[in-house]
Amino acid sequence: MIVRSGVLAREFCRQNAHAEVAAVFERSLYLRYADMFVCLGAPAIGNGPLTLIADFRPARLHRGQGASISARGIMIGDAARLSFDRCEPWQPPRWPLALSPRELIDVGQAIAARSAIEAPAEGLGRVHAQGRGETPLGRIARGRIARFASWLRGALETDRVSLAESNAVQDLIGLGPGLTPSGDDFLAGALALLDALAEIKAHAALAGAINASPRRLTSPLSGCLLRAAAAGHIGEHLHRAIAAVISGDVDTAVAAIRNIGHSSGWDMLAGATTALSVVATARSPGSRRRP
Amino acid sequence: MSVIVNEVRRSTYLDSIVLMRISRQLAELPGVEEAGLVIGTPANKEILREAHILGPDGAKAEPGDLIVALRAKDSAAAEAALAEAKRLLEHPEISGAPALENASRTMRAAFQRMPDANLALISVPGHFAAAEARKALAFGLNVMIFSDNVPIEEEMALKREARERGLLVMGPDCGTAIIGGVPLAFANVVPRGDIGLIGASGTGIQEVSCLVARAGGGISHAIGTGGRDLRAEVGAIATLMAIDALEADAATRHIVLISKPPAEAVARLVLDRVARSRKPFTICFLGARDLALPANARCAATLKAAAELAMGRAAENGPTQLSLLRADGGKLVRGLFAGGTLCAEAQIVFRQAGLAVASNVPVPGAAAIADANRGHLMIDLGADEFTRGRPHPMIEPSVRDRPLIDALADPAVGVILIDVVLGYGGHRDPAGHVANVINSHDRRPLILASVTGTDRDPQPRDAQVQRLTEAGVIVAESNADAADMAIRAIGG
Repeated sequence: MIVRSGVLAREFCRQNAHAEVAAVFERSLYLRYADMFVCLGAPAIGNGPLTLIADFRPARLHRGQGASISARGIMIGDAARLSFDRCEPWQPPRWPLALSPRELIDVGQAIAARSAIEAPAEGLGRVHAQGRGETPLGRIARGRIARFASWLRGALETDRVSLAESNAVQDLIGLGPGLTPSGDDFLAGALALLDALAEIKAHAALAGAINASPRRLTSPLSGCLLRAAAAGHIGEHLHRAIAAVISGDVDTAVAAIRNIGHSSGWDMLAGATTALSVVATARSPGSRRRP
Repeated sequence: MSVIVNEVRRSTYLDSIVLMRISRQLAELPGVEEAGLVIGTPANKEILREAHILGPDGAKAEPGDLIVALRAKDSAAAEAALAEAKRLLEHPEISGAPALENASRTMRAAFQRMPDANLALISVPGHFAAAEARKALAFGLNVMIFSDNVPIEEEMALKREARERGLLVMGPDCGTAIIGGVPLAFANVVPRGDIGLIGASGTGIQEVSCLVARAGGGISHAIGTGGRDLRAEVGAIATLMAIDALEADAATRHIVLISKPPAEAVARLVLDRVARSRKPFTICFLGARDLALPANARCAATLKAAAELAMGRAAENGPTQLSLLRADGGKLVRGLFAGGTLCAEAQIVFRQAGLAVASNVPVPGAAAIADANRGHLMIDLGADEFTRGRPHPMIEPSVRDRPLIDALADPAVGVILIDVVLGYGGHRDPAGHVANVINSHDRRPLILASVTGTDRDPQPRDAQVQRLTEAGVIVAESNADAADMAIRAIGG
């Protein structure tokens, strides 16, 4: 039985499609139809826009199996029949009020210090702090993140961003290790932060740059999740982390991030703190930003 | 000349943690210079090119494909690594642990595979542990329950049932045992010998067994009982049965009991049993006062003293010049411990020196942190407030990072006291992790450490000690010695 459904996952299922099992993990699996994916998994994986939570374990299921999807339920071969009869929709709560720009800058610095030590060596979590022993990813990512921050600063200050400049966004897409590349997670974190701080135009500019990017830049699965984030849909753990960031609760932010994959959560936090630094500086007294 | 090989797997999605783990495992294979597993996005191909591990096959990969990229010193090493990569990718579940060729899904199947087995180690979520333990008892097996969160009523019932069957239940929450020379769960590689240990405390057993081993002795068996066995409700069932077992064991000459202070009635029960034994005992009830011991037993106030009494001689103190150590600036000691019993032992050393000390897990005579007025602090980082939703610091040393960074930055702190616990089950380089944190900070109060382990552990103690000393840490021979050095350093 499916007990909770994200907004996009429920839309996916209303298409009455014949999907395919794209990947099977210990507590979850991904179903794919065209370039859309939904995640079906046990409650421990957490709610998300593309997630269906069920009393379910994917044992005995395998990649390539056919799945019949309808508004009433999901059938995967003869092995799993899951109904929507008692399914409740999931949506994240509203964002809390944000701290002052000065306080947000302090929060960003505190998170950067934690990430420098606690984030895994893989991914972008330590990219702001790495020195000796820097990885090839770190060497490439450092300059691209700086260009992204500069692009975002421009988006905040001028409200105008040309498509040519959006290379600063595209260069991060598909970059790095993991099921969802670190660069994609980084951008999802930045999008969530901009949404939380109600930076509507900057969020729209970033979402536009992502949606305009060629699909071949990242994997179909990660691209689907990134486009969902660009449309303002993020998962429960990231929402909790970003809500804690803008409230100044670093411990809660880090605890929430630890629930997201191996390095994905830290990559998201790196994107969020990069965007946080740019936004908080732009909001500080004396900035060039237009009121 | 180096050889680059790439293999491309079409539309393959694997958990990130599995990809990272396989990457690391491949990178550690003999002859492999560089390894990476990434999806074939244009940006990732650039990274592989930068790392000089992108070959023609990898260059053709699509964003939904997985690229296995390797650079090795020669073709043979590359082929061997690629074969290992294929094996791990076909069975990603084995990449995190040694292959479980004899894994069985049920207790019955396991027993049928090994009909000669006489012990079952249960490590399942606490809610299911008692049921599995009962199955094991029904098959005539002694039981070690590693799981925690087992209700005490279940523990009482299990231990009574086991006693009726003449079987031993170690635990629940039994983290350490060495049975017949085989380390179980968190335990160290120590030689066989004539000293038997019985302990309610995992790190207590580890520290004593390692001190005995490093002083040239050995362990016959180390039997864990679980932290609640000496509570009045349980009535020391496992402790008393363990004494019976070691009493009957011809290879055991001397028996050491290690625990927090038991309930008074339980202490009497245990000491009455000790009095009836023909063997000598060392009783280390950490923090206990005024114990009336039988003639065949001696009291050890610390784990170090317990090891010395069992050996019949003093353990090494090492070459450190204690009198030369002085804390610069701050006058407070901050202890940050992965081992709960090591935290308790440090508090006892401070209390014995007449110093006030506070802890989140205070021993008798120490203050709770909430009541402390900024003095010496001993923090048990394995306590719930630090490990909720996170692994224990013996597995994940980053649990200590934040408190350590705070202590490094606090000008009032003149001495930082830490423990590093080695052995099976623990982090593969805990000293290296601590050293990295210390090296990333300029301020260096005096940092004193103990390293619980042996040179034969999976993380050899000598190499771990070297990592710490290179970071400027003074390593004492035992946890009690480290606490004693801290007191001297602040002029206490």
